[in-house]
Amino acid sequence: MNMPLLQLVNIRKELSIHSDGQTISTVILPDVSMEVRRGEFAAITGPSGSGKTTLLYLMGMLDKPTSGSIFLEGDDVTVKNEEELAGLRNSKLGFVYQFHFLLPEFSSLENVMMPMLARGRYPLATARARAQELLHLVDLSDRLNNKPNQLSGGQQQRVAIARALANDPILILADEPTGNLDTKNSELVYRMFQRVNVESGQTIVVVTHDEAFAGKTNRNIHLVDGEIVRDSR
Amino acid sequence: MLLRSPLLAIASRQLSNKKRQTFLTISGIGVGVMVLITSISLMDGILQSFIRKIVDNTPHIVVGSDRLRPLTPENLADSAAGVYVNLIKHVEREDDDVIANYSGVIAAIMTEAKVSFVSPVVLVDEVAAFGTMTTPLKIHGIIPSVENNIERFSTHMTAGVFEDLERSPDGFMIGASAARDFPVRPGDRIQLTSAGGELISVRVTGIFSTGLNEVDNNCYVNLRMAQILGGFSSSQVSKLYVRVNDLEANTSIARSIEGKTNYTSATWEESARGFMSLFRMITMIVYFLTFFVILVSGFSVANVLITNVLEKTRDIAIMKSMGYRKNDISMIYLAQGLFVAVIGAAAGSVLAFGMIEILASIPIEGSKTGIVRSDHLEMGRSVWYFVAASCFAVLISLLASVGPSRNAARVNPVELLRGER
Repeated sequence: MNMPLLQLVNIRKELSIHSDGQTISTVILPDVSMEVRRGEFAAITGPSGSGKTTLLYLMGMLDKPTSGSIFLEGDDVTVKNEEELAGLRNSKLGFVYQFHFLLPEFSSLENVMMPMLARGRYPLATARARAQELLHLVDLSDRLNNKPNQLSGGQQQRVAIARALANDPILILADEPTGNLDTKNSELVYRMFQRVNVESGQTIVVVTHDEAFAGKTNRNIHLVDGEIVRDSR
Repeated sequence: MLLRSPLLAIASRQLSNKKRQTFLTISGIGVGVMVLITSISLMDGILQSFIRKIVDNTPHIVVGSDRLRPLTPENLADSAAGVYVNLIKHVEREDDDVIANYSGVIAAIMTEAKVSFVSPVVLVDEVAAFGTMTTPLKIHGIIPSVENNIERFSTHMTAGVFEDLERSPDGFMIGASAARDFPVRPGDRIQLTSAGGELISVRVTGIFSTGLNEVDNNCYVNLRMAQILGGFSSSQVSKLYVRVNDLEANTSIARSIEGKTNYTSATWEESARGFMSLFRMITMIVYFLTFFVILVSGFSVANVLITNVLEKTRDIAIMKSMGYRKNDISMIYLAQGLFVAVIGAAAGSVLAFGMIEILASIPIEGSKTGIVRSDHLEMGRSVWYFVAASCFAVLISLLASVGPSRNAARVNPVELLRGER
């Protein structure tokens, strides 16, 4: 089967800003069509305001396009309601953000278990064992019971990656995952993604400013003013 | 460790992270619940003790001397037929304020199935003299052994022996409230004046205290003695006191007695109607004020939840992005409202339990003018006070949580999560 994992068809995204009784509409993405194949490790780059983050959130079903369709495994997600999308995000997608966004009241282990418990997909014991494995994968076996504020920036981001992997997603979306990290930790995060990509064949799309990071992925999508100006594999 | 439900775990940990605010909110609810339970206990206690004392110690139905249909022939002719009778009364009937041939009337009342006892009573207002003191007294003439079935004096004697009244024709029993201004002891002799102007000496045989001022302001002598004092013939009495064995049927029995005897009959509910409606109004005011105490604690709950939601919008966004639904997010904050309400209600119930016992143990000075006299506050005790107040607090708290939890569910993850715009 050669169906693309994710397909964007004529996506248009406008943002309306209300001010002084007037509504100003800004076009972020005029007309984008693209696809993501299974097993890809793609980087979306571009200057600030080029719409790359918007594109990523559309792929992640956190946002809806003004017009156009998005197909995940051939299934049009733009027609689905919020509950269905929440279900899809839980089972098929994993997110990593610029900031770790871990729940501060919970330990690393508990944070990684959170997506697994959202729909009662895993029994508690299985979820715990799985979270331990994932934290081992990101080299944090010795930090299972630490709260986020007891971890370094790099460690926090690795817990966030483990959390993104929790429900064994088919697509991992990352928004500037190294934006807040030093070179050494950025390299570490890159290697985690690469390992997941190679070893489990999970598809990864990363929005990044980091040229070094983008250079090491196997696909580069460059966006300027909401249009794809370069797409190199 | 993570609880079985992640939503409850998030709810409880957010609360325990803000210990001081959570504690203050729980205290607010606790105090509200305590005040409410204590008020209910106080108001219900007074009402119940009043009803209990009335039902135990006063007649359920009083048959009076007023006739429903006058005996005089005012209505001899049918006025609708155009015939009128002009009646000129030369002599007023004097027996209008007595029940004549009372034993016949008692026999008629006793044919009612649910009537247990009927006691004849003669009412006389007398000025009594003891030593240098004189005082007006309300004197009731009774057959002690019969009347005891209705007013239960034998269990309320504070001095002397009840049975002595019936054994001595000149016996005299005085209520505790009346005895305050007229301090006699058993064995003392009191001078009364008969209707014919003759001085009659009676001997104090006992003092009683039922707790109802209406009863305790009275004095009791034997029926015959009262008839002599008041100038009644031996077949005449002022009232008949009736005790029934089915209080629910009280009103229908009273109406039936009226039908059979032609004498007006009032149930204790009818006699106490004024007091009861005043008491209900006071109760409503007390509950209304207490309601605001709980309402304010509801505001406090809303305040804590609004703060929690505002501080946690980012966490809410991340949870939504990982697949938690709107309802899941709402549940977190509804659960927080429920937590503080349940813990607050439990704490308030414990406090109220202690408060009720403390109030019940405080001695108070009995008053001669009130309706019920007691040497301590009559606190009601029922598990329903606690259930009702707790349910109310939980309801208010949940209502206060609805707004914040809806706001939480409405958080749009995109606006909060993106690193770049």
